[in-house]
Amino acid sequence: MKNIHTIDFYAYESRLKGLNPGLKAVVAIAALLICIGTGNYLVSVTVFLTMGGVTVIWGGLSFWKYLGLLKIPVTFLILGTAAIVVGISSAPTGRFCVSLPGFYLYLSDDGAILSARLIIKAMACVSAMYMLVLSTPASEVINLLGKLPLPRLLLELMNLIYRFIFVMMDVQSRMKQAAQSRLGYSSFFTSCRSFGGIGANLFLVSLKKAGTYYDAMTSRCYEGELLFMEEVKPVKRKEAAVAAGYIAVLLLLLLI
Amino acid sequence: MSKKEKSIMKLAVAFALTFGMVSSAYAMHIMEGYLPAGYCIAWGAISVPFLTAGFFSIQKKLRDNRRSITVLAMSGAFVFVLSSLKIPSVTGSCSHMTGTGLGAILFGPSAVSILGIIVLIFQAVLLAHGGLTTLGANTFSMAIAGPFVSFGIYRLCKALKVNRMASVFLAATLGDLFTYCVTSFQLALAYPSEIGGVGASAVKFLGVFAPTQLPLAVIEGILTTVIVMTLESYALPELKAIGFAKEVK
Repeated sequence: MKNIHTIDFYAYESRLKGLNPGLKAVVAIAALLICIGTGNYLVSVTVFLTMGGVTVIWGGLSFWKYLGLLKIPVTFLILGTAAIVVGISSAPTGRFCVSLPGFYLYLSDDGAILSARLIIKAMACVSAMYMLVLSTPASEVINLLGKLPLPRLLLELMNLIYRFIFVMMDVQSRMKQAAQSRLGYSSFFTSCRSFGGIGANLFLVSLKKAGTYYDAMTSRCYEGELLFMEEVKPVKRKEAAVAAGYIAVLLLLLLI
Repeated sequence: MSKKEKSIMKLAVAFALTFGMVSSAYAMHIMEGYLPAGYCIAWGAISVPFLTAGFFSIQKKLRDNRRSITVLAMSGAFVFVLSSLKIPSVTGSCSHMTGTGLGAILFGPSAVSILGIIVLIFQAVLLAHGGLTTLGANTFSMAIAGPFVSFGIYRLCKALKVNRMASVFLAATLGDLFTYCVTSFQLALAYPSEIGGVGASAVKFLGVFAPTQLPLAVIEGILTTVIVMTLESYALPELKAIGFAKEVK
């Protein structure tokens, strides 16, 4: 729950916030696609380092905070990769082999190479996505999605949900504090009860608020379209050149 | 150390590795960049018909009653917040529920598919769980497969006149388990093992994620039941307004 405040907060704090969000998205998505599409490890390492560098040095995010964020997907990475590296078979095979009742666990060279590449590729993709989300507030990301041919209703829902998330978080944290100060989280079973109670109450409060918000919106002339002010951030020629150069370098690296 | 002490030590280390490492187990979001490009596109394409159906159902609901847009949005925010909360756990690890089972029971599976994909986008953008490229695969497992199974089981239990609380528990737990199986299968399809192919690989992924996902599914079931119980005792009029609980007296 801490993360939701952190990532959006870092995005607002980032020195890259002034850049055109479309440009950042194009660079991030191009890097993502090149990494995933080719799986070239040289490109992946380059993307991982450069995107991290852009976020930390250019964006001004502290290195340790960035490292902390990089740790978020590590659990999945470790477990998922473990499943790829270790094989199971009914006959002994592979480089290392552990005999267990009924089957064998083995490690193979191919599996190890595949997973090493996968880890590099996945972390490169994560750092490319971080470059975007750590420099672009979520509202701007939604605006970007608005440029795609998506139904308006979907974007309206996204805009509303984004705003309501913070309202709900606030309500929830106060409920939790109240429950905690009354020993609501003292043991596993009381915590389950408190958690369930808070969840149900949260739902009730959200339904009540939903009505109030609709009235508030209608009284401000809401007729099925939400309009938000969008800051105009024109792309400077130099920035576009840097972005194009970066993508070109990535593509050139593929040839090596 | 004696032989017995050694084996106890090994067990303790294994225990610490499985539970200690899992400091933050979100319901299995496949991380950014973990799936090859072809699979990203394929799972996205498979999700499209379900999302379209969900979209039309939401659109129809809104045409009947424009006011329900804020209710829908609040429900989406509710699912997001619920899934971002640290749930009580026995091992001290920090895990999260999906909340989609509850959503499916309350709002129906087709509406949840749309809310689910929006929640997944926000989880990727705001919490760095899941990713933009793996959105299709995650949508299929978490916003489509899980909720549909939850809803199906809930309906089945209702038809069989099973105790309501038991049916809510079963729906949420099995929906969660199904999500975990689908994700394992998705991973196995993308990374089949050299010996045994997709089947063996699926067994491996299921096994690796089992220690976190099995307790999680049970806890999700318990919490969903507690939430539904509380709602039924305090919020019947509201539940009826969103079309749930016609059968509750």
